[in-house]
Amino acid sequence: MHLPRFEYFQPSTVEDAIHLLEIQKSGARLAAGGTDLYPRMKYGLTRPESIISLRDIPVTPPTLSQDGILNLDAFMPIKEVVNSRVILDNAPLLSEAAGRVASEEIRYMATLGGNLCQESRCLYYNQGHNFQFIEPCFKRGGDLCYFVPKGKKCLAVYMSDTAPALMCLNAKVNILGSGGEKQIPIEDIYSGDAKHPLELGPTEILSQINIAKLTGSAGWAYKKFSLRGGVEFAGVGVATVLQMGDGKKVCEQAGITVGAIAASPLRASNAESLLKGKEITDSLLKEAAKAAAEEIKVVPHHGYSTPYLQEILRVQTHRALGTAYERVGVVSQK
Amino acid sequence: MDHRKRVIELSINDEPYVLAVEPQQTLLEVLRDSLSLTGTKEGCGTGECGSCTVLLDGKPVLSCLMLAVECVNLDITTIEGVGSIERMAPIQEALLEKGGVQCGFCTPGMVLATTAMLNRNPKPSEGEIKRSLEGHLCRCTGYNKVIEAVEATIEKISDTHE
Amino acid sequence: MAELDFVGKSILRKDGPDKVTGRASYTGDIKLPRMLVGRILRSPHPHAKILNIDISQALKLKGVKAVITSEDTLGIKAGFVETPRYPADQYPLAKDRVRYVGEEILAVAATDAYVAEEALSLIRVDYDPLPAVFDPDEAMKEGAPEIHPTHPKVKEPLSNIAGKTQSEWGDVELGFSESDYVREDRFESHLRTHGYLETQITVASYEPGNKLNLWTSSMGPFLKRAKLARLLDLPVSSVRVRKAYVGGAFGGKVDLYSHEFCAALLSMKTGRPVKIEASREEVFTAYRHGQPLIMEVKTGVKKDGTLLAQQIRVINNCGGYRGSGVVVIFLGWGYTMVPYRMANFKYEGYAVYTNNPVRGPQRGHGAPQMRFAVESQLDIIAEELGIDPIEIRLKNARESGEQLPNGDNVHNCGLKECIQSAAEHTQLKEKYGTGRTTASPNGHIRNGIGIGVSSYMSGSLIYPNSSSVSVKMNDDGTATLLTGALDVGQGAETILCQIIAEELKIPFEEIQVIAADTETTPVDIGSWISGNAYVTGNAARMAGTEVRKKLLDLAAEEMEANVKDLVMENKSVWVAGSPDKKISYRKLIGASIQKRRGDPIIGEGHWRTMRDEPFHPSLASTKGRWSENYAFDAQVAEVEVDTETGQVRLLRAVTAHDCGFPINPLLVEGQVDGQVSMALGHALMEEILMKDGHTLNPNWLEYRMPTIHETAKSEHINVITESYEVGRPYRTKEVGEGLVSALLGAIANAIYDATGVRLYSTPFSPEKILYGLGKIGRNQKVS
Repeated sequence: MHLPRFEYFQPSTVEDAIHLLEIQKSGARLAAGGTDLYPRMKYGLTRPESIISLRDIPVTPPTLSQDGILNLDAFMPIKEVVNSRVILDNAPLLSEAAGRVASEEIRYMATLGGNLCQESRCLYYNQGHNFQFIEPCFKRGGDLCYFVPKGKKCLAVYMSDTAPALMCLNAKVNILGSGGEKQIPIEDIYSGDAKHPLELGPTEILSQINIAKLTGSAGWAYKKFSLRGGVEFAGVGVATVLQMGDGKKVCEQAGITVGAIAASPLRASNAESLLKGKEITDSLLKEAAKAAAEEIKVVPHHGYSTPYLQEILRVQTHRALGTAYERVGVVSQK
Repeated sequence: MDHRKRVIELSINDEPYVLAVEPQQTLLEVLRDSLSLTGTKEGCGTGECGSCTVLLDGKPVLSCLMLAVECVNLDITTIEGVGSIERMAPIQEALLEKGGVQCGFCTPGMVLATTAMLNRNPKPSEGEIKRSLEGHLCRCTGYNKVIEAVEATIEKISDTHE
Repeated sequence: MAELDFVGKSILRKDGPDKVTGRASYTGDIKLPRMLVGRILRSPHPHAKILNIDISQALKLKGVKAVITSEDTLGIKAGFVETPRYPADQYPLAKDRVRYVGEEILAVAATDAYVAEEALSLIRVDYDPLPAVFDPDEAMKEGAPEIHPTHPKVKEPLSNIAGKTQSEWGDVELGFSESDYVREDRFESHLRTHGYLETQITVASYEPGNKLNLWTSSMGPFLKRAKLARLLDLPVSSVRVRKAYVGGAFGGKVDLYSHEFCAALLSMKTGRPVKIEASREEVFTAYRHGQPLIMEVKTGVKKDGTLLAQQIRVINNCGGYRGSGVVVIFLGWGYTMVPYRMANFKYEGYAVYTNNPVRGPQRGHGAPQMRFAVESQLDIIAEELGIDPIEIRLKNARESGEQLPNGDNVHNCGLKECIQSAAEHTQLKEKYGTGRTTASPNGHIRNGIGIGVSSYMSGSLIYPNSSSVSVKMNDDGTATLLTGALDVGQGAETILCQIIAEELKIPFEEIQVIAADTETTPVDIGSWISGNAYVTGNAARMAGTEVRKKLLDLAAEEMEANVKDLVMENKSVWVAGSPDKKISYRKLIGASIQKRRGDPIIGEGHWRTMRDEPFHPSLASTKGRWSENYAFDAQVAEVEVDTETGQVRLLRAVTAHDCGFPINPLLVEGQVDGQVSMALGHALMEEILMKDGHTLNPNWLEYRMPTIHETAKSEHINVITESYEVGRPYRTKEVGEGLVSALLGAIANAIYDATGVRLYSTPFSPEKILYGLGKIGRNQKVS
């Protein structure tokens, strides 16, 4: 399989990359690790006139600010996220989720920003459309959903593992563009529309991720459900944080976010509220998991049915909360 | 659009190569088609099987998803640079001795991924071995004998070092 | 019995060094001067008339060297089966009509892949879509869209019947009436693929002067040569199919494929070499997978567990053309005939055309499916009767010397020992039944254990009906082995070299091999139909014996000794007791040339199964003999079921198999492990998802082949029933297909043991298990 032809740029600063985006307009695509973009290009799902590679832009190592904010360069390879001591100490939930991305080689190639900016996926969309599927679906610029022919919208699923973790950690992201830099909650980069899951403008680059460090009285977990232990995307990915009070019994704040079930990661707010201010017991965690499965409506995808995913969402949420609770007081995984 | 080839210099297995490539050419295509380094295999072309794994500065990557133009200034290691029939690397010998090779198509990728893992950590746990090789599909062996081979290599290396 | 030096030893594979160093040259690694790239245009419709094909724009594109459509062919059809009853039914390029998505319409050859693909996009094909049918039950109904007319010899009013197998012995109705318990179940199996890592690929190079050279990823060059020569109307001897290393096959590379024909014809048209490589996506969408079977099984037993009668009806969803669909319905009979005694038996199998891609052989070729059905039902029956799963199997298992209803004999049969040793090794009797009743320490996890049994033939009769091997001695006393067999990863070359090394007492490393070249090597049936170790192996043994005899006769003459007093070792011969007075092979060869009118010493051997049977047994009636050599196995699966997610893990698989004897124990273990992994994938995670004849998951991400994380502990028990003696025919058994076959049923039985959920269809997906546990509602929709 080969890539279609394109013009290639390799800027050495983010500013140059943005400048190139301005000149190239919509015909250009940014390539970080390329592991999401290049397969889609090989399948003919996108045919950019030019590729702007971000590979030459120097990566700043992660830093922890005085006020406990972890700043991560979006161009950091996933493998470095997994290996980073400072991330493991301050945002172990992200380390855990990053460790479950794809495979070892892809973790070396792909970047954290790229993992967040990946396209949404569906069985119909993610293949060549040379002969067996010719009708363009919503996501390929057409007017139909193959699986729900009478449906009005695209039902592709956004499958990043790191996104629910970051959302659970209330991360903020920096967006650089021709208009300057802005910092927004990670939730705000999602459109909710699977056709174009990201709100980023054509000349914007997600450049940095900022996370408030987890304290010693917090517990966390990322549970990825997939049939196999590696390589594949999640059927459901659940991230949880339990921020406990001083006695480590009462939950001050809970985070429950779910990936791979909709056009963006979703927050189980009802379930979170249920836990807030309560003493943690297993039956309370069960109740919260049930609430999460009730408030979040999954999109069936990649061979999994709605009732199954709904049940898995409940089970995985319960397990992720249980693990998070077990880890309260454990500062890092090691 | 500008499709003119660019002349690039690649360092592969400690040998310099100067060649003209188009930007969309992957490292895999350049290795196999331009340089006849055919030990690196294509099993899918979309990053899902691990057969095309090579090392860039010692790190395992999928050459089917790397542009050749992105590999300048990096040390590229392919299976041709790992060992020879006369002087096999320990992992190559172990795969042979333990029966971790059948059709052999996934083997070069497995050899390189293992090499990278052991260079980084000569005593990986079973979990780490599996994480390092999780992206390498093998239909013939069922992986048992591959794991045995990696474990034997770890032992062999630690014996030589101690 | 003399000690063996090479046979029975875990000698390292001959091709190993080439493979671990990346030197091994596969078809894709072949580069020829001025080679063109070929691409194939495929049907987007499951069923349509082709109204018009316009290639004019493509031909104008710079770099396009040829475009071929059915008009450029001789209009000859091909088929996996080509018999008077089942003549070939598929054109290599579709003519007038397409019957599945992905069917080949035409091919182009161009200077590079970009040009070839652009050329395809410039071609316009007008179709008139026809009603299509995908489900075999629907396709058989009266009034279903007619894909092909029902076979003229099938008298029932059923549509789209590609073929039918019928067989019976005893009186099945009488058997049921005499039974204490009769049980009827319907089982279904799903669409699974081979999972070879190297895609389908061919390089064809036509030399004007009528020589067509072909390198192709295959399972044996001779069948490819025969079919290609027929389709191109070339003399068989004008087609040369040559060896390249093969990156896995598992049944998927036996038959001749359209791309091989197209590469050849394009090379003939252009006078240049042409390479056609299928993308992974094409392999998934348009090539052949295994056979999804529906199996209705009715069984009658006595109270003590004695099987009395069995009636089986198999329906095969065989796709748009016959493929191997009519072979599988025949084999389904065989896989149920062998393992257990059954006094009364009635079997019907139907291959049904549907508008799905064609199906082909896949490791086990129907056995995993059939054994899943029979072994599952046997456990159900055993439970109803209050007999344990081991007793019911032992009660009915075949024993040595038994004659099968078709006249075959099982000869030495170790099935009972397989069942017993697998059960004892795993403490199955102690563990069985405890999974459902014992609360596990980890709440939601349940453990279970189950057994399955299978038998597989070691070679059968099919074209070209022979495997032949030559051995030529070299002047330095070493030997060169010439075999038509192709090593597809199983180690064919290695075991043949071991046999020659043993017969001639030449060090293994000093045996050279020339293999799988139709021009230079003797004919071989190929690395399929499970006959390599037995059939080709005996041919090699026979060739070795001939050389051995010549060497010994000469040595006796030279040393003025009696042949029976001679000892051979390490390329020399001496009289027993006087090893210091030895004569080297090098000298003997010199002597042979001097005294035997230039005889350089060449041996020839040939073998086939069923030496006295002229033909393959009838696919329609099963009449005729099938095999003279059956392997047996019992496999025990131990699983862990997560009752909250429905996920199953195969923790341990124990394979006890009557393999005759292992020629190379390490290679045998490799076969066992590979089949355990394949069976676990097929049982638990792999499935080709289809909708209206379209493939939804044509990639490794969503076709979930096991990774290193899913590896089960695989243990091997070799039950030895045969032996090897130098200079004598031997009867070792197959190890490459039967061991993927019993495990599926074993896993189903283990899941039941763990959860009480009986699954009647594969795969044993977490959804089905949660449904069975009453935790979710049914939802079959796939997206």
